[in-house]
Amino acid sequence: MDILQQISDQIDLGDDEKVHELTTTAIEQKIPVKKILDEGLLQGMNIVGQKFKEHKLFLPEVLMAAKAMNAGMELIKPLLLSDSIPMKAKVVIGTVRGDLHDIGKNLVGVMLKGAGFEIIDLGNDVTPEKFVETAKTEGAEFIGMSALLTTTMPVMKEVVDQIRKENLEEKIQTLIGGAAVSRSYAEEIGATAYCYDGSNAVEYLNSIV
Amino acid sequence: MVTFSINEIIPDRKVVYQSQGIKQEVSVPQKITNLYDYSLSLFTKNVEPKGLIKEISILEFSEIFQGNGENEEDAPVQHIFPLADSLALFALTLGKTISDTISDLFNRQDFALASMLDSIASASADKAASIAELNFRKSSKTFLYCPGYCGWHISGQQQIFKKLEPERIGISLNNQFLMIPLKSISGVLIAGDKEIHNFDNDFTFCAQCKTFSCIDKKDML
Repeated sequence: MDILQQISDQIDLGDDEKVHELTTTAIEQKIPVKKILDEGLLQGMNIVGQKFKEHKLFLPEVLMAAKAMNAGMELIKPLLLSDSIPMKAKVVIGTVRGDLHDIGKNLVGVMLKGAGFEIIDLGNDVTPEKFVETAKTEGAEFIGMSALLTTTMPVMKEVVDQIRKENLEEKIQTLIGGAAVSRSYAEEIGATAYCYDGSNAVEYLNSIV
Repeated sequence: MVTFSINEIIPDRKVVYQSQGIKQEVSVPQKITNLYDYSLSLFTKNVEPKGLIKEISILEFSEIFQGNGENEEDAPVQHIFPLADSLALFALTLGKTISDTISDLFNRQDFALASMLDSIASASADKAASIAELNFRKSSKTFLYCPGYCGWHISGQQQIFKKLEPERIGISLNNQFLMIPLKSISGVLIAGDKEIHNFDNDFTFCAQCKTFSCIDKKDML
């Protein structure tokens, strides 16, 4: 069987050791790195994403697949950089200032990475300035913010306002999510989109990138 | 001080699966079962459950409930607590180690394990709270109500902390009224006739609610 197909299959099975081994072989065989990414790693995660959407896989299996994909990504990332091959888009993510809940934000990051986006994870308790500065410095097209508490939600508005103030709305879009947040809140503060979970974030970004 | 044994706060496997999006009626793949078992072994090794309980009067609680004056105009708790037989402030934590373990697993890219352990810990904290509800006043129906829910502003935590001092069991509050360690719960145990807990979920804030815990409570009445 084609080695790229094998990589894809092993991602579907969530076998990170196998994916690491097969990706190493694919690199040694001088298969173009973009091909390994698109037809092996991303192809595998696409299948996983589709199965999850169709309720044929459960969240833990998607997360095992994501770990497997990362095992391959770590090997090809330096090669992608040296060949100047860009990822789909850069997304800065974080849990907003004052909030330390990061499990949801982490899951969104995992899913976006699995869909081929470059993720810059600022962690939790992130100030509005840090979100905006990082997006500017890194040339990120998206900022994804998470908040679990009603008291920390207003920080999202501070980020949106800062982007407006600096006339960056054309360059940087804001996505918000988390237990405290709703679509109507996103509309109220002028965020670009509300994403209710990781696969919804993937779906949204794939639809516009 | 309230003590919990680790065994009594181990959550029902089905509850954990549910929070992972796995419905009760489906057959669970072996690798998820193995993941759960391993997560549970990490949980029992790293959890350090501790609780505090302090009885207070209705009058004392009415001051605590006012908090910083940021509650919704009308909220269920304000109709329930004046009818209570007994009230007690309550706090519990599963300890810092379990939260650190979850973070470490994520950092090591063990996403599935981290997520499953997080679900176990959250369900365990809920189970510990249920045990406290059951043990508080056996002759009455007791429910725990927490700031941050049902119109009781989260800043209410500050007043609870002043009175209960959960710092004694290792819980602190940040300036956004978030408890640290994360796997902690605080609130008021309200005991009384079961009818006092019955309310219609048609308050202004109910439309935005994603927890539906009041429906679960109603089912238990």
